[in-house]
Amino acid sequence: MRGIATDVATGYYIAGSSRLHRRNPLTKLLGLLFVLVAAFLLPALSLAVLAALLAGVAISAGLAGALLGSLRIPSVLVVSIVVVNTLFFPGGRDVMLEVGPLSITQQGLTFGLVSAGRLLVVFVASVLFLFTTLADDLLETLVARGVSHRIAFVVQSAVQLIPRMRHRAAGILAAQQARGLSVSGSLVRRLRVLVPLVGPVLLASLVDVRERTLALEARGFGARPGRTAYRVVPDSGLDRVLRVTLIVAILAVIVSAVAGLGR
Amino acid sequence: MRTPIRVEALTIRYPGRPLPSLDDVSITVERGERLGIAGRTGAGKSSLALAVAGFIPRVVRASVAGRVLIDGTGGTDAMKAAPGDLLGRVGIVFSSPSSQLSGSKLTVREELAFGLENLGIPPSQMDGRIDAVMERLGISHLAEREPSSLSGGEQQRVAIASIVTMGPEILVLDEPAAELDPTGAAAVAALLDDLAAAGTTILHAEHDPVALGACDRVVLLEAGRIVPAMASLPPCESLAWTVGPGRQGTAVTIEHVSHRYPNGIEALRDISLKISAGEAVAIVGANGSGKTTLVKQLNGLLRPTHGRVLLDDAPTDGIPVNRLAATVGFAFQDPGDQLFERSVEREVSFGPRQLGRSGTEGSAAEISALVEAALSMTGLTGEREVNPYDLDRSRRKLVALAGVLAMDPAVLVLDEPATGQDRDGIERVGLIVRAMQAAGRTVIAITHDMAFATRWFDRVVVMHEGRLVDHPPPAA
Amino acid sequence: MDWLTICPEGATTPCVQPVQLAYLVAVLAVVVLVAAIGRRSRDFTTVTLSLIAVAIAINITIGSLTVVLRLPLYLDSIGTVLVGALAGPWAGALTGLLTDLVWSLLPVPGGAGPTTAFFAPVAAVIGLMAGFWADRGVFQLRSDDARIGGFLALALGIAAAAIATLAVQNTVGLGFDPDDQGSQIRFVCLGIVIALVGAATVAVSRRTIFRLRGDDPRIRTYLIAATAISAAALVFALIRLLLVPTDLGLFVAAVGAVVVAVLAVSWARRSDHARLFPVWVGGFTTGLVAALIAAPIVAGVFGGVTGGGTDALIALFRTLGLSVFGSAFAQGLTSDPLDKTISFTIVFVVLTAMPITVRTMFSRGELTVAE
Repeated sequence: MRGIATDVATGYYIAGSSRLHRRNPLTKLLGLLFVLVAAFLLPALSLAVLAALLAGVAISAGLAGALLGSLRIPSVLVVSIVVVNTLFFPGGRDVMLEVGPLSITQQGLTFGLVSAGRLLVVFVASVLFLFTTLADDLLETLVARGVSHRIAFVVQSAVQLIPRMRHRAAGILAAQQARGLSVSGSLVRRLRVLVPLVGPVLLASLVDVRERTLALEARGFGARPGRTAYRVVPDSGLDRVLRVTLIVAILAVIVSAVAGLGR
Repeated sequence: MRTPIRVEALTIRYPGRPLPSLDDVSITVERGERLGIAGRTGAGKSSLALAVAGFIPRVVRASVAGRVLIDGTGGTDAMKAAPGDLLGRVGIVFSSPSSQLSGSKLTVREELAFGLENLGIPPSQMDGRIDAVMERLGISHLAEREPSSLSGGEQQRVAIASIVTMGPEILVLDEPAAELDPTGAAAVAALLDDLAAAGTTILHAEHDPVALGACDRVVLLEAGRIVPAMASLPPCESLAWTVGPGRQGTAVTIEHVSHRYPNGIEALRDISLKISAGEAVAIVGANGSGKTTLVKQLNGLLRPTHGRVLLDDAPTDGIPVNRLAATVGFAFQDPGDQLFERSVEREVSFGPRQLGRSGTEGSAAEISALVEAALSMTGLTGEREVNPYDLDRSRRKLVALAGVLAMDPAVLVLDEPATGQDRDGIERVGLIVRAMQAAGRTVIAITHDMAFATRWFDRVVVMHEGRLVDHPPPAA
Repeated sequence: MDWLTICPEGATTPCVQPVQLAYLVAVLAVVVLVAAIGRRSRDFTTVTLSLIAVAIAINITIGSLTVVLRLPLYLDSIGTVLVGALAGPWAGALTGLLTDLVWSLLPVPGGAGPTTAFFAPVAAVIGLMAGFWADRGVFQLRSDDARIGGFLALALGIAAAAIATLAVQNTVGLGFDPDDQGSQIRFVCLGIVIALVGAATVAVSRRTIFRLRGDDPRIRTYLIAATAISAAALVFALIRLLLVPTDLGLFVAAVGAVVVAVLAVSWARRSDHARLFPVWVGGFTTGLVAALIAAPIVAGVFGGVTGGGTDALIALFRTLGLSVFGSAFAQGLTSDPLDKTISFTIVFVVLTAMPITVRTMFSRGELTVAE
């Protein structure tokens, strides 16, 4: 049971002590936001710059291997973006190559590559963020900045519930089969199987809600304003400087993009 | 000195229920007293506990009358108190360990800090308080463990600790050991002794008065009122299972079965066991000895990595779970894994309907008869229209059991049938075992209740670390 | 500031690309939505918050369960719809929003990895709509609630607007010409007229035919009729679309519609099947809106594809001449309405099986699910 909870509850996190790990979660979040904004608002050439930047960060944090491994997640999507857009781009005028009934257009290729590039850059930045940040630390930081601690609790609670519920769902699958439920067969059969499977998950969870609510109330959840925090998330001068820089950078990108709209 | 708890003429009635759950109850608990509340399931113990902790009618809606005064006549009426008023003064512990943990913290230490955070205690004071409580309750060794990885008993102790950390002088406990095995229950009992010795006022509800032996005083609740002595329920009419074709019992043979989980754990090591047709066998053993793994081999939920299982000389290899279900009826430990219908009757009929008996001539009547018999055996005939989740946990378990009985199994497998039942429930389950045996069925049960095992079963088989330790041959 | 005009085709003077403007507005709308959700969530009770946490887990668990069952559906909004029904639109919206954010954090199969967060606005809107329909009474167990009158009026209004659109299209022609300022104004005016027709239908019918009280036996009749008519209309439209729009196609479509209508009536009359009609309307419309909101995200962030088997479908739509946005929207239309309709149905069935102890914990529980 421990394995399940740890794997999914800590998510993508890879323990380490690189400089990236030690940055405050909010700093890293702003960094991610910067990459997001830059990738989508700046001209396509900036993608190469961003990619190089992120690769450098990954290497210096010792996460290059993990990063490469994670690239299998969006691999199908990225390939699909390039292929579908290259071959089937509406409004593609300049044909570069004819492949049977289909034609590779320059516009399609450009669009496909740029879209795929943007997605990849955002993906890499997200993954680096997730590799080096514990969800609990992130949430605690956000709470310190004004996010409701009750919402943060909902996220933490959900994160820990998921592996247990998935485990439970597997158990329900087994229990209903032990009552004669068949899970193979025609599509209609499989659809009919949904209610006896989903039903116990939902109902038992709803009943659970009652018990969890009582337990939370017993621990004073949300009873008084002025909740304090046990967990300490480190913040440093460097982090503060970085955050200011990043905010300025994000605003600069946005302004230049809006100004550039008139072109 | 102000009286910690003073309940005056308390009446509680939940919406949708015709009768009140508590009727004109008055109790006074003195400072440092350890009061026990005994009563059957449904007698009103939980309602009393919730009311004292200030949950009724604020969190759990109900119409109420009377007063529940905390800390004397001029003190707070728990039923009118705002959420924060009773915090740190009255704490409450429930019976289900896992749902009491906040489910949002990754270490026990942080779990204990959760209540302090909500109280607004300055962070600098938190560690001191947490360490002191862990020391006192003997769980310091669990400090960095992940709460969800602990055993039930350990989780319950952490749950109690997380309440005690908040410093209440009054502690209310609603059947804290109901879902624990004997080791866990003993640990909780020792913990309560320590707290009582330290002067905490304790209100402890249990269905078994024996568990309240260490209390200064015990009050009996029945049907929402305080009674001097509990009326004994009429003994269960002797039960008989007479529906269905006369199935000759099926012999179960386990031949050199080993089972290794994908993560490498060897749960079963070369187990061989012969159970004759119509025999009743109880399997006992500590947690982790492999009992559940073994019985799951019988209906195909798990397959042996070596060896095989035979039902009446026919191996189970290759037969899918839902087909073995026609022969082997499996009652799971947690009814929540199966219940989803809106009434007991529909729930109980689910199994027989799935077994494909519908569609053949006269089968609707057949199913009906099976359902009736199952309801009658489990004493649920009067509750056929009730939503299973509106019943208390012990009767929900009986609903799940009825659902399995209605499948008319040749082999009945029960996973911890006595856990979570009060004494009448345990008695009924025992009578069901006897009745099924009399009808020629083979009954196999996992239990950690030795008294239950020795009383109702022909043979008791002991497992330890995946092996059979003591398996006397079947009685001739 | 004269560059703040929308670009007509082949413009040379500074102007704003309509697409860019649209995206800007969309991003702002999302920011406003999130802020609104944040504001509303301050008032949520502990019960609601516990429910939301559980619902998020349900969304993700069942969303990955469909992979096990090899079903061509997502079913990742069941928790969202449940919360919308039990605790209101804003709680539902928060559930959807947080689900996609949490899914980004965890390596659970079934989502889109860390980029799932981009779909958070879609999930939030699904929650809003589920709560909206729940407040209109679609999850009522018995079809004799007076709110059904409001629902029926709304349904009739939507139908009236659809018919008006078709009528205009086939006579005067809607005609949107990006170059002709005049036609654009005409388009907007016609749009307003159609909307007014719909609104008027709602208002008038609510006060006349659908002025119903609970227990009115006409409710059941109306629902049965509505089921039959919508089924017939759906079948008619499908057949017309698929078959070449010749006279033969018209005839076949008409026959098909009548047959389906008769079947629908006999089915709806059995037990209380008629009360599924509002549930399906709720689910279907929610699916339509979800597809609409997801399309620009798919087009703008994901290059117009989904990374799944349905990309073949998207390629097909592209060859038919649809734009990047259009083909993404069309793909969404083939899966989202069905997915959400099934989700709404599952939630409906589960609500019927909900025990009293749970129902009474939620303030809306008693309103949503009457006994």
